[in-house]
Amino acid sequence: MNSTALKWFGRSWMLLVYAFLFLPIFTLVAYSFNDSQLVTVWSHASLRWYKALMHDSDLIAAVMLSFKIAFLSALVSVFFGLFSAFALHRYRRFTGRGLLSSLASTPLVMPDVIVGLSLLLMLVSAQQALGYPERGLLTILLGHTLLGTAYATVVVRSRLTEMDSKLEEAAMDLGCRPWQVFTLVTLPLLMPALLSAFLLTFTLSFDDVVLSSFLSGPGYSTMPMVIFSRARLGLNPSINALATVTIVVVSVVVIASTLYSLRQERQRKRDMAYRD
Amino acid sequence: MENASKSPLANEPLLRIEGVSKIYDGHIKAVDQVTLNVASGEIFALLGGSGCGKSTLLRMLAGFETPSQGRIYLGGTDITELPAYQRPINMMFQSYALFPHLSVSDNIAFGLRRDGMAKESIAERVEAMLKLVQLSQYGKRKPHQLSGGQQQRVALARSIAKQPKLLLLDEPLGALDKKLRVSTQIELVNIIEEVGVTCVLVTHDQEEAMTMATRMAVMSAGSFLQVGSPKDIYQQPNSRQVADFIGSVNIFDGLVKENHTDYVLVQCADALLRAPSNQACHLGMAVGVAIRPEKMALSRKKPTAKVNHVAGVVVEMAYFGAHTSYHVKLASGKVLQVQVQSQADEDNADLSWGDAVYASWGDSAMVLLTQ
Repeated sequence: MNSTALKWFGRSWMLLVYAFLFLPIFTLVAYSFNDSQLVTVWSHASLRWYKALMHDSDLIAAVMLSFKIAFLSALVSVFFGLFSAFALHRYRRFTGRGLLSSLASTPLVMPDVIVGLSLLLMLVSAQQALGYPERGLLTILLGHTLLGTAYATVVVRSRLTEMDSKLEEAAMDLGCRPWQVFTLVTLPLLMPALLSAFLLTFTLSFDDVVLSSFLSGPGYSTMPMVIFSRARLGLNPSINALATVTIVVVSVVVIASTLYSLRQERQRKRDMAYRD
Repeated sequence: MENASKSPLANEPLLRIEGVSKIYDGHIKAVDQVTLNVASGEIFALLGGSGCGKSTLLRMLAGFETPSQGRIYLGGTDITELPAYQRPINMMFQSYALFPHLSVSDNIAFGLRRDGMAKESIAERVEAMLKLVQLSQYGKRKPHQLSGGQQQRVALARSIAKQPKLLLLDEPLGALDKKLRVSTQIELVNIIEEVGVTCVLVTHDQEEAMTMATRMAVMSAGSFLQVGSPKDIYQQPNSRQVADFIGSVNIFDGLVKENHTDYVLVQCADALLRAPSNQACHLGMAVGVAIRPEKMALSRKKPTAKVNHVAGVVVEMAYFGAHTSYHVKLASGKVLQVQVQSQADEDNADLSWGDAVYASWGDSAMVLLTQ
């Protein structure tokens, strides 16, 4: 094969991969503007399903629930993740360190189905013994926080490992009490890691369907659960509209954060140029 | 309290280290029974190779490590158990450890704010510090916007801003390239002297220790080999290890042949040496004799004296401008380093590889090493 052919092969291969990745999404977006009852048959463009979406109170409730759970579980996960990572990083020897270290990462490798099932069994027996907790928002939150804490721990811990331990010594040397070292130096330096841990755990929670299915009770269906159950009955095109809205929201966030980090990077480069 | 402690302790050194040891895991002695006094205003250098315990000792002074044994006193007060944040001691870190999220000014003000100093006084002090290290226009920059040399000056400003009683420098020039180091050494000493702060510095670079310190200790395996002024240690090393560590040196091994009150005759493989001595020696004792390369002279003619010269062949020579360095191979196979000042070298101008020469030196050039 000569080099021109190779080049064209490379390009078409790339095109094929992109098409495979993005064509379904574009189709979905396009069909969300389809007027037809049937998901797969195009009639003419309209906003019919967006209107339907606005009146689909079940779906809207599910979306709101998903946001609520994702936000709360991400918040709690980052909080716990910060402290477990800090403990594992800072204290080299304490009883149960090995156990904590492996327990913190177990949910990462354990299949969700098994985590969900075991949590369900535990919660059911807790409910039988104590009459609490009722399955619903709290139990889903528990499950998502368990998973999220594991991920947040990994993210924060890797940042802590990169961090120069001399910075904390310098802070102490300059008169910081241990808690001041943490709030004035360690925490500000961890901010980017905490932010990315939050985004990661938020996303994890937002699109989780396995854990939620195990742990939810009557009246508590998250958005992925609703979509999943409707898909089994035959999809309603308003799901397409919902997906499009979600895609737009996610794209805006992703583009904004990319632009932000690009600007930061450019600023840093300009700063470097200042050096003499 | 200060008045009460002042009169009986008029001669109290600023820093007193008494029998301090640091033992890890029950048996690894990082620092072994170190005792040292540092007077106010001194710049004291701890010199040694890696793993000699110098950094551990410094960290114990800063309060990052607690001694396993012994006490540390600062101005007569026992600070052994005092946490780092309560000690009137500040440290300049080897990697500078500037806070990347704070501006240069905020870095310098960091310690002052912890003391609850008034805002205006902090601003004033920061301004003065920036001026002292000649970075007045750089206060608003972030540390990563500065060059290595500038970062080093910020680190210095931050560590002296709180006007500590004792300043610790951990390999102060270690992160700079060689060209910057020499000029920075002098600048650093000037600033330290201007501020008048007592200083303990750690380095593995003997040149750095010698140019900066008023007094120094050579450390090995956790203890001091020798403590003294750079000149004393260079000219009167008390052991082979010290002689070897500080500058280049030729050491002849031999046996004591004659023992006199102020000198000994040492029989070596290549020569008979008459070395000044005030140490207890006995006949037949194995000793070393150290001679600095720059204290030797080279000549084609055989010296008339019976002692203190060797014959050899030039195997290597290098011209350095101010001096020329020769390697002379002796009959025993030993290679001698000889450094001759270029001006004094006119009669050797034609010396070349393979020439037979005599190296000679005076009695006072030698130091007898019994250990």
